[in-house]
Amino acid sequence: MEETIKIFTGHGHWSPLIWVAAALGTFSVALLLWLLGRREHKRGTDQEIPFLSGERMEEPRVSALHLYWGFAEALKPILTRLKTWHSGVVNDYAGWFLLILAVVFLLVIV
Amino acid sequence: MIGNLPFVVCMILVALGLWTLVVKRNLVKLVIGVGLIESGVNLFLVALGYVQGGIPPIYTYAPADAPMVLPTPQALTLTSIVIGVATTALMLAFAVVIYRHKGTLDARKIRELRG
Amino acid sequence: MSVHAPILVIAIPLLGGFAVPILARIHRTVRDLWVVLIACVVAAGVGYVAAQVFSQGIWVYVLGAKTPQETRVSAGFPIRIMLTVDAMSAFMGLIAGILALAAFPFAVRFIPEEEGKTLALALGLLLLAGIAGMAYTGDLFNFFVFLEVTSIAACGLIGFRTWTSRAPEAAFKTMLLYSVSGLLFLLGIAFLYGEYGALNLAYISAQLRGSMVDRIALALFLSGLLMKVAAAPVHFWAPDAYGEAPAAKTLLLVVNTQVSLYGLWRILFTLYGGKLDAGVGWLVISMGLLTMAVAALMAIGQTDLGRLVAYGAVSQIGYMLLGVGVGLVSLTSRADYGLVAMKGGIFHMLNDALTVGLLFLCVGAVEWVKGTRDLRELGGLGHQLPAVALCFLLASLALAGIPPLNGFASKIMIYEGSFRLSPILTALAVLASILLLAVFARAFQGVFLGPRTEITGRIHWVFLFSMGVLAVGIMVLGLVPGFFVEQVVAPAAEALWRGRALYLAAILGG
Repeated sequence: MEETIKIFTGHGHWSPLIWVAAALGTFSVALLLWLLGRREHKRGTDQEIPFLSGERMEEPRVSALHLYWGFAEALKPILTRLKTWHSGVVNDYAGWFLLILAVVFLLVIV
Repeated sequence: MIGNLPFVVCMILVALGLWTLVVKRNLVKLVIGVGLIESGVNLFLVALGYVQGGIPPIYTYAPADAPMVLPTPQALTLTSIVIGVATTALMLAFAVVIYRHKGTLDARKIRELRG
Repeated sequence: MSVHAPILVIAIPLLGGFAVPILARIHRTVRDLWVVLIACVVAAGVGYVAAQVFSQGIWVYVLGAKTPQETRVSAGFPIRIMLTVDAMSAFMGLIAGILALAAFPFAVRFIPEEEGKTLALALGLLLLAGIAGMAYTGDLFNFFVFLEVTSIAACGLIGFRTWTSRAPEAAFKTMLLYSVSGLLFLLGIAFLYGEYGALNLAYISAQLRGSMVDRIALALFLSGLLMKVAAAPVHFWAPDAYGEAPAAKTLLLVVNTQVSLYGLWRILFTLYGGKLDAGVGWLVISMGLLTMAVAALMAIGQTDLGRLVAYGAVSQIGYMLLGVGVGLVSLTSRADYGLVAMKGGIFHMLNDALTVGLLFLCVGAVEWVKGTRDLRELGGLGHQLPAVALCFLLASLALAGIPPLNGFASKIMIYEGSFRLSPILTALAVLASILLLAVFARAFQGVFLGPRTEITGRIHWVFLFSMGVLAVGIMVLGLVPGFFVEQVVAPAAEALWRGRALYLAAILGG
């Protein structure tokens, strides 16, 4: 039974059972918190609208690009460089391939 | 050295084809570049199978102990040519469709997919 | 029948694919059922072959003779085409079978009739045949032919939506790079043929001396296949292709990449086994690290959901290259951590196929109901598509390597193995995983959470069935990884690690 679950990594072993237990524990705590919430809010009124500093927005939605905005902004210098490499010009791709070809030849033959 | 000349020519063809892929901007010329590499490889295969003074590898009417060129590379080349026709046709078809959409065959302008 | 299983796995989808346009003339439902039937038969076939190989060792299937010994000519080499299925080939076949089972039912529903559904299904079956052929063949030229079959079928699938301007562009670029890599592979085969006069992989491997010609051939094989597996910096075609192909067919493109990876392992471990210096291993490792870093970073900047997932898929290739690269470096010293890393890398091929496949199916479902994949417009789909949202969450967590899902099970083995070689490798790999977690967390939040938005289509139950197959796979592999590692992955890793002698003996005898 033990062997069907555990992975042996050379150093030691790892068993997902502990993590399943931890996940279930976290989930039950979350469920408990959710059950403690109030339920009597009125649908279709302002009570459903998220509170954004008292401002009313047309479409209060956080798109994927808003999330981790600072994270993406901090990586922007690297990202712009990488994006110029992925230029879309097929000659550049062939050029990169020639580079890899040269590197592999140098490595294997010399 | 002179016996290696066909192989050298094949490698020059392959190198020219690779060079074409990097410097030429027209999609059709890029397809021609792939065709050059293909011709180089096919010639290389055929040249490999050549035996000095060999006759075609057909047993009917062949002299009893005549040396024959190797048949396998010829079969390989034939397969490779067929595959090459398919890939070339497919690439040219895509080039035509691209031209209809974007009105150009310049690789520098066909870069909708980037970043 | 059952003795012919290896060739039938290749022949059935090949002939079945050509039958699809004829059956479409009869009735569309017949065609759909036929395609699903073929996928099921292929899955059953690879399962049977795998069961046989895992229990009884290497299965050599000779075309035109009963045993490999019968085909030996006086010079000592076998002259027929042989399918040589060892544990690694069987494992690769299993991956293809599972994904076919998920991809074809999905595709039957997903691709609209007026968008050339018949031809897309036929191309999908041809691609499957090519993949099975690459996995099972034991002949170098045969491998090249199947490589080209997959290239042509794959590019047909990428570019068949010719009325959009992006798809043909992606297909042209991919096809150009595929044909160059295929031709260089053929040139490598020609070099080896010129030296040894044979095409059988086992025979060449036994004869290989490590001369200059062999090295040139190795360089050609290596650069050609590294392009086909989408290792950075020659990965540029992959996100374009994965992003533009119809979502249901992207699964097969992912398997196509993995079977090229299998080809790389076959060349490095079986053909050149024991004759490589550590430099090649370090090249594989460094390209693996570069791939995961570049792809994870690029995924952050994407605004298209399909392209984002495509970059996630490319980054996973890096982990496999890292795991097996560590094995390659430690191959001569036979250090035990090398085997652990290799098991991790090979296990990750299966895990990646499931998780990335599920992600692409989710992308397809989102596109189906919203008609767009733009992250700026998507939102709140969790209200209408709770099952899809759950699948996306599951697959994202597995892809980022969060325990107790399957992605973690293979990554921990890669991490532990590579840590013993150099801790820097592990640090970079963990860093890339964290980046991926951020990327997929934000994609999940943006697409599925938030207030409800309008949707235009409805999910069909077949979509949920396909996703269910992969989701169950992810959970089962995550919860009982030990069983699969021992029964399936360890034999495959051993086949590369120590199995070269067995592979040669199976064909050459003694």
